[in-house]
Amino acid sequence: MKKLILTTAATCVVLAAGPVQPAEIAEEVIQQSFHPYTDWTPEFPGYTPGMTVNAQNADTFEAIMDEALFYFVKNGWVEVETAPTTEFPLSEKYIAATRQNGDVALTEAGTLTNYVAGRAFPAEPDPNDPDAGQKLVWNYQYGFNSGDSETIYPFWWTFRNVDTGKVERVIKFEWHFLNYKHRVEFEPIPEYEENPGQIFRGIYSLVKEPFDLANTQLLIHRYDDDTKRDDAWLYLGFQRRVRRLAAGQTTDAFLGTDLMIEDFEGYNGRVTDYSWEYGGSRNLLLPFYNHNEMALSDQPADDPTGYRFVDVHGKGNCFPAVTYQLRKTHTLIGTPKDPNHPIGRRVINLDAETMTMASLITYDRKGDMWKWFPIGKTHSDNHIPENQGKGVALDDFAVLLDIQANHCTTLQFKSIITDEDNQPNLFNVQQLRKRGR
Amino acid sequence: MKSKTGFSCPVRLLFGSLAVGLFLLSNAAQAIWYSNDRSLEVRGFIDNTTHVRTDSAEDGLSKMRNRVQVEFSKFTEPTGMFSEFSFHGILRASYDAAYDLDDDLWGDTSGGPVFLASEGGPALGLPGQVPWGAAASPFESAVVLPGTNPFVSGTSPYLNGFFLGTSPNDFMRLLNGEMFDTTGGLPGFGGIQLAYPTRPCDVDPRGCIAGYMDADSDNLRFPEFNDRYDWMRELYLDATIPFDGGSELNFRIGRQQVVWGRTDLFRVLDQVNPIDFSIQNIYEEFEDSRIPMGIFSAEYRAGVVGQFDDLNFQFIWKFEDFRPHTLGQGGEPYTILGAGDLFRALSTCWHYGCTVGNFAPNQTGGASLPPPIGLGAPTLGNGNSTGTLATTFPAHTIGIRGVDADRPDGAFEDPEIGLRVEGLYRGIGFSFNFLYFHQQLPSLHGGSEGPAAINPFLCDPALNPVCGALEQAAGESYLTEMQRPYLLAFDIHFPRVTMFGASADFYVESLKSSIRVELAHTSGEEFVNTLRPSLYSESDVVRWVIGIDRPTFIRFLNPNRSFLVSLQVFGQHLLDHELITTPGGKAGMPDWENNILTTLLIQGGYFNDRLTPTLLLAWDSKAHSMVVGPSVNWKFNNEWTATLGANLKFGTSKNDFDDCRACNQFPPFTDPAEGTPGAGTLPVGQSVNRLAGFAPLGAFRAGPIGMAQAESEIQFLLRYSF
Repeated sequence: MKKLILTTAATCVVLAAGPVQPAEIAEEVIQQSFHPYTDWTPEFPGYTPGMTVNAQNADTFEAIMDEALFYFVKNGWVEVETAPTTEFPLSEKYIAATRQNGDVALTEAGTLTNYVAGRAFPAEPDPNDPDAGQKLVWNYQYGFNSGDSETIYPFWWTFRNVDTGKVERVIKFEWHFLNYKHRVEFEPIPEYEENPGQIFRGIYSLVKEPFDLANTQLLIHRYDDDTKRDDAWLYLGFQRRVRRLAAGQTTDAFLGTDLMIEDFEGYNGRVTDYSWEYGGSRNLLLPFYNHNEMALSDQPADDPTGYRFVDVHGKGNCFPAVTYQLRKTHTLIGTPKDPNHPIGRRVINLDAETMTMASLITYDRKGDMWKWFPIGKTHSDNHIPENQGKGVALDDFAVLLDIQANHCTTLQFKSIITDEDNQPNLFNVQQLRKRGR
Repeated sequence: MKSKTGFSCPVRLLFGSLAVGLFLLSNAAQAIWYSNDRSLEVRGFIDNTTHVRTDSAEDGLSKMRNRVQVEFSKFTEPTGMFSEFSFHGILRASYDAAYDLDDDLWGDTSGGPVFLASEGGPALGLPGQVPWGAAASPFESAVVLPGTNPFVSGTSPYLNGFFLGTSPNDFMRLLNGEMFDTTGGLPGFGGIQLAYPTRPCDVDPRGCIAGYMDADSDNLRFPEFNDRYDWMRELYLDATIPFDGGSELNFRIGRQQVVWGRTDLFRVLDQVNPIDFSIQNIYEEFEDSRIPMGIFSAEYRAGVVGQFDDLNFQFIWKFEDFRPHTLGQGGEPYTILGAGDLFRALSTCWHYGCTVGNFAPNQTGGASLPPPIGLGAPTLGNGNSTGTLATTFPAHTIGIRGVDADRPDGAFEDPEIGLRVEGLYRGIGFSFNFLYFHQQLPSLHGGSEGPAAINPFLCDPALNPVCGALEQAAGESYLTEMQRPYLLAFDIHFPRVTMFGASADFYVESLKSSIRVELAHTSGEEFVNTLRPSLYSESDVVRWVIGIDRPTFIRFLNPNRSFLVSLQVFGQHLLDHELITTPGGKAGMPDWENNILTTLLIQGGYFNDRLTPTLLLAWDSKAHSMVVGPSVNWKFNNEWTATLGANLKFGTSKNDFDDCRACNQFPPFTDPAEGTPGAGTLPVGQSVNRLAGFAPLGAFRAGPIGMAQAESEIQFLLRYSF
């Protein structure tokens, strides 16, 4: 009886107090996390924004280049034009959601509790925190580099021979991304109610060209329960049917490109598939720029809005012809738990301000450097009109350069932060059949 | 025309001209073409496919297809209630030069005279082989049935008489060619041997079946240009009506492919469209071998419903007139199961008469009857039968008369419809399927339900008084036509079939594999059954497949790229199977009661998948036959691709089965001779000694892989896409 009385009393207290309010993140932490350049600019001895980093001065600036970029510059594959560091402010709605994340914590399995939206762990990573890597990867996983939903079209993937510069193939896609949950920008916020599978994110792509791959479609469902395996389907135009992808196919060359599905956006998989380690913070030269201020390609020549891709240059035309900024990064080292995984480890350099992947270096199982994957970023305010005010560090260019095979796949595209087409009915298996020809 | 040492001059010329043509195209054509407003897109390809057979009597070109395909899509602005309105089409034209370049194999100079086995002859001091249309002479000594009008030999055709003037011993080929095996179930009683005309139907009309297997030279060379307008491969309208909540109703109306299955190479649920096996037996991609049909498809895409992540309801109605599978016509390079060859042989038999190797026992009860009846058969000696002799039949006795007059053809009167519910539940994709359609493989209704046939042991009493005695013995008059139980006289039917089925796919983490399963139950399917007076019977059938797709590293072959290993196990069980064993072989339903087919695909990728080696294996566990298909594809760039491959068959594939030649259809003439097992007056169809052979029914047991044992090939494809 005594126990019952106590329980009842406790319940009454809770009811009287109303819903439990989540603990708020201190504003100082928010400002440091989202606005690191308000009162501070990264510096490095001898470095002046606007200078060119090349083979002659590469050794001087080795510390502000990731290991792969240093290798390329040092060997004369590319010269890096630099520009002043600028702010890439994220959406105020995303930042506001972050303020409510005081109760977000890691479970023993490495997943999150009490998370709704925004940056899960905005505090500066602590080298003494054994979970620092795990927290960083969640910041990346629930980052805002695609907003709540994004369309990428046109999207050209070009196979290039690094030695000869020969273009071997060009695959032309359209891509769509939709966050079913943890939304801050587009309604419904924070999530779609009708989501029985508790899908976190849907990814859908359609190949437009070339003929032999045309109508190939890829659909990925990532679940909010990170311990649940992704589901992925591939519609093959030449078979006219949908095939469910086995997980191993996400770690294979996607349609013959240098990317694996797991590489998309830097890391496209379950957090719990890897062990994550915080590798420290450093200032690196990253391809962050204002798209509209770059010398652009003459492609796509037929874009009705006159949009042009970032151009390519350097050895094999495998490098973006953009300016680089010196920016603060957090290094995240991921090691696959699957001993048969083709990758030995991923070294991701997260841009501290946006928590987007600025560069990735993958190492093979022997520990040798294998691939370099930088993603060029432009702020949404310096892109097409539709993206104005979206507060997104837009993916604007990427290259997957296979250092061992001397081969690269450049990704040139137009990102649009929009929910116009990106509704749940685009991200289901029937859609693959509907659009399949 | 055919060169044994290499390609003939015309072949080289064609290769050369094709290469020049492709080169010009590559310079003239752009990548996929879009209209200015991008509402219209056009793409396509031109290619050459060359297949060469190297290890058979028919070695040489089996295919040199030059093909152009244009695909287009036209999208319109949303209008009225529709959120999407688009129009799509695929136009295809091809020319297969094999019919001209190797016309002595497949074209208008193909075939030649044939000699048919008469295995029981040597025991009587007679030849072991006789020519087509053999007469009852001491030199040929075939059994020539009286109905062939032997009493007026040398004159023009007489009633049903077999007349070499209209059915000469030329332009023919032996059924199953070199695969023919005379080792039947009993020594001396080898399998029957049939011959079929090989030339296109405009050159040689023998054996052509109107409306089914009657392709002329141009139909063979230009297969899309036929009376079904196959050049218009696909042409359909897509329209979508959206509803609140994200659900939508989609219509796809027109000639199209409706794909229900999840399998490769063989089909379980994917039964909506028939297949054109004449392209390349079972080995063409379904995308290319499915025959698109005029179909009304309505799909309600409900999206998320309750606990289902996705739910979809589909109704289909095939409004285009029924089409069966295209099996390939006798004389074509690809005739799955040898069916086209068999049908042409049997059709020739019905309409012209024919000589069949190893048919009549060299001693029968009828032959031992006292004169004058015995005079109707050749003098074959006395005592037990020691073997079978080639036999010449008159027309309207055995064979295939044609496609049944009730052939399904009306979309309204004889509709084919289907329903499917498909969805996603907790990561498991599933479907439930129902299809009410016509069997796409032909069913042969014979004997008591076949065409009315004459008694070939009877002859015209006006020509010879002996014929009157024969009529008296038979109890019927000359030229009386009636359905005769167990007689090998057939009409082709396409019966109604009802299919219920289900499928699922899911991922199994512990196996690192995605799994596909399909299960289908059909009722109404018909199968050959030599125990039935009509020579067929129905059986419910359960078919299933389990497919496993697993990316697997084979590190010594490629340390950084896994190979796709795709294993499929197909099962088939006939629920109403009938089979007996006789001293002469098995009789009843030649299809296996239970059979397992296994396929294995291993595919890798090198140089960014521009080099794609593939190994395909398929194994028929009951037929003990296997196909191995290694190939390598190289993509030069976005436009050019080449594939070099082989299709190699291995195995025994010799499966004998009762052919009902000893079914005593014409007593007393076909009663077994005294002293022969089963001798005595037996009811029709009750011969103890069912005699077995490879042709024709052993083919059903050999299956599509086993029946193509002599069709190993080297294959090359060169394609330019635009």
